[in-house]
Amino acid sequence: MGDAATALRGELRQLVADHLPPDFLGAFTDDPADLAATQNFCQLLAKRGLLCLAWPPEYGGGGASLWEQTVVREEMWAHHEPRGAQYMGVNWVGPTIMRHGTPEQKSQHLPPIARGEVIWCQGFSEPNAGSDLAALRTAARRDGDIWRISGQKIWTSYATMAQWCFLLARTSRGEKKQHGITVFLVPMSSPGIEVRPIRSIIGPHHLNEVFFDDLQVTDADVLGRVDEGWQVAQEVLAFERVGIARYARCERLLHAAPAALGAEWDALPAELRTRWARMLVHCRRARLLAYRVIARQGEGRVRPGEAAPYRIAVTRLDQDSAEVLMEIAGHMSARGEAAQRFRQEVEDHWRYSRASTVASGSIEMQRILLARSMLSGGSTPPDGSKRLAVA
Amino acid sequence: MNIELSEEAAEYGRQALQAFEHAGGDELVVLAEAEPDRRENLVAPVLSELGAWQLNPRGDSAELEAAAALCRSAGYWAVPYPVAERLARPADLAVDGLLVVAGPRPAASLAGLSLRWAAVTLDGRRSLATARPSGVSARLSALVTELDLDPADEDGAKDVAVGLVLPCWTLLGMLDRAISLAREHVLVREQFGHPLSVFQSVQFQLTDAEVERSGVEALAKYALWSVQDDSPDAVEDALALRLAAVEAAATVFAVAHQLFGALGFCDEAQLSWLSRYSEPLRRLPLGAIATLEELTSRAGRRGLTGLYSEPSGSSLGVAS
Repeated sequence: MGDAATALRGELRQLVADHLPPDFLGAFTDDPADLAATQNFCQLLAKRGLLCLAWPPEYGGGGASLWEQTVVREEMWAHHEPRGAQYMGVNWVGPTIMRHGTPEQKSQHLPPIARGEVIWCQGFSEPNAGSDLAALRTAARRDGDIWRISGQKIWTSYATMAQWCFLLARTSRGEKKQHGITVFLVPMSSPGIEVRPIRSIIGPHHLNEVFFDDLQVTDADVLGRVDEGWQVAQEVLAFERVGIARYARCERLLHAAPAALGAEWDALPAELRTRWARMLVHCRRARLLAYRVIARQGEGRVRPGEAAPYRIAVTRLDQDSAEVLMEIAGHMSARGEAAQRFRQEVEDHWRYSRASTVASGSIEMQRILLARSMLSGGSTPPDGSKRLAVA
Repeated sequence: MNIELSEEAAEYGRQALQAFEHAGGDELVVLAEAEPDRRENLVAPVLSELGAWQLNPRGDSAELEAAAALCRSAGYWAVPYPVAERLARPADLAVDGLLVVAGPRPAASLAGLSLRWAAVTLDGRRSLATARPSGVSARLSALVTELDLDPADEDGAKDVAVGLVLPCWTLLGMLDRAISLAREHVLVREQFGHPLSVFQSVQFQLTDAEVERSGVEALAKYALWSVQDDSPDAVEDALALRLAAVEAAATVFAVAHQLFGALGFCDEAQLSWLSRYSEPLRRLPLGAIATLEELTSRAGRRGLTGLYSEPSGSSLGVAS
């Protein structure tokens, strides 16, 4: 990936080692100190110019290469995402506002994100609009100079801690259900918003229901054009196309397993060790598939169907590696702090992996995208694509 | 490393694809099975025309990529000739090609060929190899014969990786073709008044196969880079590729056969030929389980080189 990316990786690992508690497992635990740790870590990254590394310099970013961004994505996910909920503001809320926001919206929202001071949540999914997102029903009705919004969102990550919501609401009904959707930038402190946490396998403070009961906003809170929010949402999904670098956490834990078990490693059932080795191959496979998508992204020629093989491979890796790691951890007899930490990391990985084939676009949607791409194009000769420099 | 082959190598692969098609395409393997002694004459002139024997895969990175692209194109047409094995020939032995061998009964797809061969074991012991006359019909042997080995030296450490990687590119070409055939079949074959391709159960089988094929493609390029770079991990990287390729082949061919239905077993369907001639590549020198065991043994506690492999476990700070 080059010297700059290697140096960046080292810097990030050092920051993680120096500034996060050794038993850190993410922001969404019952311990408020974990949320505080992520807030502090974000501000630390911001001060060092690492939080918004990928942003253009005119918005306070470092104009980092796609490969440096990849390093950040890998190292953060590998270490339980110490940016907590803020990764969303950095990764796609900010860039979307840069592209579609008014000057006032840019000056209001971008600096706090860049300073690591604000958490956003994503008001997309609804009880009857999950994979079929365009079926959303949360309605925004114009009333003179204001909009009145009522409806319900669900599976909204970080809503209890967020200050702002990137909200999709229906403002009209067009011929297609994708028409008539608008993006609103909504302060979560507004009257008319109620958040109900959903305790879940991935942590007690992660998922939520959000109810909007006659929430009042103005045109100044609309991002982009009224009724044209679907296009904005598609751009958001494009930012997420490569998605979380799940392979990095899988690889880190798999590599840590032999040291965690010590002498007991050699006593593992032979088949379990072969499954471990196979998972390392699958980690490499997923990482290379990710890099291919990123390289094509850099040339502006990646399409949804082209990212799908990676998304499918990496989500399956997440779950398969978690099963292998859980079984390996079951063979540990050590009771010390380090052993306990390894067990907890593995347990946390296993729990998060349950959602990996569902979150951020289900695996079924990825298969549909891939099938569409495969069945609509020409024949499948050996690849003849252009040379793409990684290093 | 580069994620994909150079444009020059890819273009060479496309030219090879056309050349094999003009030389007979799918008919080549049919003719070779009927008369194994003819396959040298069927295929070698095409390779000469393509300049295959002027390639120096051991000495030049660009030419190694070209060799890989050529192997892939040969696999696409199930070209009945050990293209990868010939391209892997060592420069320091007076032979025409290189075979990686393992197990108590070394074998290779050499029936009907009278070339000079070197063989190398996974631990680098080299022999001169002679194909025994096959007592089995080509239809059941897929042109595989057992080998007699005459020990030569123990200098084959550099031969193993390239000898493992290039045949995986041939197998990758076979996976390309199997998916292409399956795709074309489900687009035209109708059941219940619709093309098979409209059924999601069919689509999802096809996507599962494609995910496997894509993964092999990515690992094949990585392993090639490892050889180009003369990496100390080149053999492990080649074994990792081989494991993924062999396991992917099981999925891809199972899906392709399932989607073709009974037609896929018939010799009028190219899938039938492709499937049976993929088998030697999948089994030799090591099948899936043996490849995985070899990889696991070599990986030890360190695992494969990756983001967190040096030193093992350091980023967690765990200890026994």
